[in-house]
Amino acid sequence: MTPEFQTLAALAVVAVAATWLVLRALAKRRQPGCGGDCGAVSPEVKRLQARLRR
Amino acid sequence: MTLPAHIAAAPSTTSSRLPTYAVVGNPNCGKSTLFNALTGLKQKVGNYPGVTVEKKIGTTYSQHGQPVTVIDLPGAYSLAARSPDEAVTRDVLLGRRADTPQPDRILCIVDATNLERNLYLLHQILDLGRPVIVVLNMMDLAATAGLNIRVGRLEHLLGVPVIACEAVNGKGIVDLRLAMSRAELSLARHAWDVPAAIAPAVAELQASLTANDRKAPLIARAEALLLLTDQDSVRVAGSTPLSPRTTEILQGWQTRWSREGTDWAALLVNSRYESIGRIASEVVLPAGDAGPTRSDRIDAVVTHPLWGWLVLGGIMTLLFLSIFTLAEYPMNFIDAQVAAFSGWVKQAMPPGDLRDLITDGAIAGVGGVVVFLPQILILFFFIGLLESTGYMARAAFIMDRLMSRVGLNGKSFIPLLSSYACAIPGIMATRTIEDAKDRLVTILVAPLMSCSARLPVYLLMIAALVPGGRVPVVTKVGIMLLMYALGTFGAFGFAWLFKRTLLKGAPPLMIMELPPYRLPRIKDVLLHMLERAGIFLKRAGTIILGISIVLWFLAAYPKAPEGATAAQQIEQSYAGRAGHALEPLIKPIGFDWRVGVGLVSSFAAREVFVSSMAVVFSVEHFDSDSDKDVAPLLSSLRHATWPDGRTLFTPLVCLTLMIYYVFAMQCMSTVAVVKRETNSWRWPLFQIGYMTGTAWIVCFIVFHAGRSLGF
Repeated sequence: MTPEFQTLAALAVVAVAATWLVLRALAKRRQPGCGGDCGAVSPEVKRLQARLRR
Repeated sequence: MTLPAHIAAAPSTTSSRLPTYAVVGNPNCGKSTLFNALTGLKQKVGNYPGVTVEKKIGTTYSQHGQPVTVIDLPGAYSLAARSPDEAVTRDVLLGRRADTPQPDRILCIVDATNLERNLYLLHQILDLGRPVIVVLNMMDLAATAGLNIRVGRLEHLLGVPVIACEAVNGKGIVDLRLAMSRAELSLARHAWDVPAAIAPAVAELQASLTANDRKAPLIARAEALLLLTDQDSVRVAGSTPLSPRTTEILQGWQTRWSREGTDWAALLVNSRYESIGRIASEVVLPAGDAGPTRSDRIDAVVTHPLWGWLVLGGIMTLLFLSIFTLAEYPMNFIDAQVAAFSGWVKQAMPPGDLRDLITDGAIAGVGGVVVFLPQILILFFFIGLLESTGYMARAAFIMDRLMSRVGLNGKSFIPLLSSYACAIPGIMATRTIEDAKDRLVTILVAPLMSCSARLPVYLLMIAALVPGGRVPVVTKVGIMLLMYALGTFGAFGFAWLFKRTLLKGAPPLMIMELPPYRLPRIKDVLLHMLERAGIFLKRAGTIILGISIVLWFLAAYPKAPEGATAAQQIEQSYAGRAGHALEPLIKPIGFDWRVGVGLVSSFAAREVFVSSMAVVFSVEHFDSDSDKDVAPLLSSLRHATWPDGRTLFTPLVCLTLMIYYVFAMQCMSTVAVVKRETNSWRWPLFQIGYMTGTAWIVCFIVFHAGRSLGF
């Protein structure tokens, strides 16, 4: 693995991480909340609620 | 059997669609425990009122394996809602919520140890004319209290199935499932006559609600009774407003009765209580006077004006002592594994950016936070134990004396207590507070309580402040208690200020039920603890990992010229430049630009401060023989200096940094939830301003006072 390849790969990983963080922040703006981080709503309940809405 | 006229038009339940059940009952009667037992979900339960503040939906299965939807609703003493969480229950039952279908059937959970009080809500629910199954929960506690409850007699009097149950032990769940699986359920035969003075108003309102508000006749009657009882003052998002005609009729009757001096609400309530009294006297055979119960004897100590505080202080000391002593070995183990993994990657890969990203960004950032997992687990294990036994309600009772002096509502205690874990469920729990101003004050001060995300920051700073075995563990516990006390008294101080300035209001009264003590259910406590561990690790593997990677890039780019030292590299990096831009603001409180990088990045989540320090100081390596037994991050912090060679992380700076995190609003998710709960940007922006401003001012005072004293 050459240093040049490592630099390209590292920058690609950074780009993916940055994009994910931006998308996550935008999603929070649309639906504010902890995103389940606080444990107030379990992911299982979220799935059930989504199914019920459908 | 002849049904009363108002419930003659029974809705059919014989359609092919399986019915939806709503679980309702008084607060702390075991609804969520029963919901979990039925659905297999793991909703949070606790031995204190107000744990559930929003509806929860799950699925259980009939005896033939068909799915049945169950909606768990917040506890309510009456359908006459006095707070937003009770309004959720009322609006779902009355079919007012656009986002939730009206339940076909109702599971009404009744606390068998307190039947008469619980019957009030049941009585109102039977008015709805929906099929109801009554679940007599906590039968074991009723038997222990010497109460003899005639289940068959209650079933006969009400005309609906009554299931005796012990939800925590899973007893009665099979009978309940069988009852829920019935294709047909009989309607209640409870006869209750509306007082003659009120009857014409009920009839007129019912007719208008049916004609103008498109309500089913039975729901219209129940709504008419509620409108007359509570004037329907609390409405929640999603509920539909009354038609102008209905509002006009309601106001017309109220004006007329006010002129005549008729207390219509009291007439309705008294009439209902007379009916309930008749049922209770036939169903409950009271125990003789057995003297004070075991709970009473324990309460004599733990709610005592002096002993109560000592017990609370002792419990908190024990909690933090456990955090420091029990967690040491697993923390060392995790730390060693993280270091070994990092070393293995360094050996397995040739030098380059990708290797540095993995070791100095991802592993250093995530590992720096994951190492605190054992302490987080111990914290939540203790909180779970206290919730499960019923002690939390006693702690609320003790704190109420103090809280009422600063103008905080007694019901604020549970939201503030929840905020020790995370401010978000704490802010959601304010929905139990009836008064809008009291609720807003609680929302504004809840993030001042030290949440679990602050724990890694405190622990890192305490480790840097009081190194190794040179000081007794009691000193560390003392500093930790000080931080928690500072946050708590800060919250009380600001509540006092807000109640006298921005949000003036009458001094609140607290009425809170003290639940009987129960032995903790270790399974529930462990499940709750594991759930918190999952959430902590998820955050470490997602947001903290993402930020660590981006931060590594900001600290490693642009590259310094060949031959530059690590310190020169980070100084001219993007992170270094941003940190230097921020430095004039934070230098007066003793922080340099590297701390500034941590402060800015930890706005996403407070734990990110630890990973930011790990990333920033991984790029800027320190090698020291004297610290070879210390975690690499701690070693780096202890050797960090200002450009003139002065030590950066002096004990005073560590203390100031902890105080900054006590007060500063460093959580994006909390800001978003406050915006949602207050439906405006005004309050979250005010909260950011007053909290972060206070943090800066207090830090400035502490730092300069400390320096002038020679620290």
